[in-house]
Amino acid sequence: MGEKANIFLRDVIGGYMTELGKNAGVVVVNADLAGTCRNRGFVEKYPERSFNVGIAEQNMISFAAGLAHEGFMPFAFSMAPFISMRACEQCRTDVAYGNLNVRMIAPYAGCSGGISGATHWGMEDCAIMASMPNMVVLEPCDPIQAKKMMDKMLDHDGPIYLRCGVEPVKPIYGEDYQYEIGKATLARSGDDGAFICSGIAVKYALEAAERIKEQEGKDIRVVDMHTIKPIDRCAIISAAQTGRIIVAQDHNVIGGLGQQVAEVLAEEGIGTKFKNVGIKDEFVAMAHAPYLYHQFELDTDGLTKKMMDMLT
Amino acid sequence: MISSVKELEYAALEIRKNLLKLCSIQAIHIGGDLSVADIMTILWQYQMNYVPSDISNESRDRFVLSKGHASAVTSFNQAAIGCFSAEDVIREYATDGGRFSMHSCNLVNPYVEVSTGSLGHGFPIACGMAAGLRLKGNCRSRVYVVMGDGEQSEGSIWEAAMNAAHYKLGNLVAFVDFNGLESDGTIDAVTGLGNIAEKYRAFGWNVQECNGNSMAELKAQMDSLPSADSDQPTVLICHTVKGKGVSFMENQVKWHAGRITEEQYQQALTELTVAFSKRWGEC
Repeated sequence: MGEKANIFLRDVIGGYMTELGKNAGVVVVNADLAGTCRNRGFVEKYPERSFNVGIAEQNMISFAAGLAHEGFMPFAFSMAPFISMRACEQCRTDVAYGNLNVRMIAPYAGCSGGISGATHWGMEDCAIMASMPNMVVLEPCDPIQAKKMMDKMLDHDGPIYLRCGVEPVKPIYGEDYQYEIGKATLARSGDDGAFICSGIAVKYALEAAERIKEQEGKDIRVVDMHTIKPIDRCAIISAAQTGRIIVAQDHNVIGGLGQQVAEVLAEEGIGTKFKNVGIKDEFVAMAHAPYLYHQFELDTDGLTKKMMDMLT
Repeated sequence: MISSVKELEYAALEIRKNLLKLCSIQAIHIGGDLSVADIMTILWQYQMNYVPSDISNESRDRFVLSKGHASAVTSFNQAAIGCFSAEDVIREYATDGGRFSMHSCNLVNPYVEVSTGSLGHGFPIACGMAAGLRLKGNCRSRVYVVMGDGEQSEGSIWEAAMNAAHYKLGNLVAFVDFNGLESDGTIDAVTGLGNIAEKYRAFGWNVQECNGNSMAELKAQMDSLPSADSDQPTVLICHTVKGKGVSFMENQVKWHAGRITEEQYQQALTELTVAFSKRWGEC
């Protein structure tokens, strides 16, 4: 005993569906991954509002679109690569084109699927989903944020794609945390540099900022950009005033958060030191996610080193 | 409400005349529009409970055009029931700022329930709608979905076919406009569908077949549909002729889409009206 059990966002998100299920319009559509996506609690509690189309992700999204046409709010669950790539056109044409209230819930974001290999990594999903008009793209980093994000999803009009990793996370926010879609959270204050990040990278950035404070006495800001689209431009402009920005996300460096932040900086005409950290636009062999994060310099060691380099 | 076979055939004649008028102005998917014209006419002008002045009414029937390129024939049928005028369609079809796209689009036409165009999408969406109706306790409305035969090659069709039977969606009625031709040639030359009726039957569907260009047969099928609260989805395999009614277009791959000359337009009009007159006397 003693050590606290690991917290996994897919447990939190899938489990929280039983709460959201109190709203009669909420339905769940699975494609044979109810267990993997941890929403069996909903399925057992609300069997009449649960559908499982079998291993058919395209059909899952189209079917969910049909339910949304009839006024329901379907939550469609599968792994990030299967929703964003196998069912890409269904997400775009059947859901986004109609601006429908479908929520696509996608664990296995980035390379968090680790030893499953690249077939099970969603390393292009933000690029794909964010390029669809109407689509909101979210990535939570801790359990409280994930739940508040899901509460807010109920009020949003239009499609939402939520990605999350399957590596354990740390609690970052308290119960009093105020969440709003599209408004970045200042996870740590500081004016000597800034990490802008989402998902698992928030944990690593906070640890890196802590180390840098201990070692150098420098205060590094951590901006939790939980909404990849629409991006919070003000938070980026403010972070740029530190003169040093490192963007970190478990996603291919092409098409991910880093390029979105860079675009805002360029459009605003802001010159600042800048690095984009993520999966380095390559396929690599399966390995455990922490090993991969270390290789991609996305973990605490990597982010610490990169910011230290920028400080000197 | 029109109800006799003669009235329905006359309505279909008017639809075809409008299609040809439009086709004389610009290229449309005329072949498939003409093959599915009788199906669309009986659905919009006889079968469906759909009131243009009350398009959000929960008790309405739903229509999904899975073969989204048959948008012109859909729009003319919507015009026939008073959504707008046929002249509106002819004037605005595929024009900047117009309401009528080459593929059905509900951004500009509110009488389109679901925007379609990419094949293999409308059918699974219709399944979700049918499941949604059931979930709401609406046991009277049906979802009608019209597919092409070439479209049956899309894998998503069969994912949905499996699912509709699994969820016992007896409120779902699908049509396959089986005209035997697709963009690159005959279905059999491209990738044969085999016995499509047996395939749907094997998937657990109530399968009916008829001549999809015979209003009498279509009407008989519509009048004998299982009730909306039954537990088996129905598919109607409609054997049709691509380009139906216009001699130089019938069964011609090249008339999948195109534009006709004024001379061809006049010839086509004459053929259609003569054929109708032969059956029923003067128009």
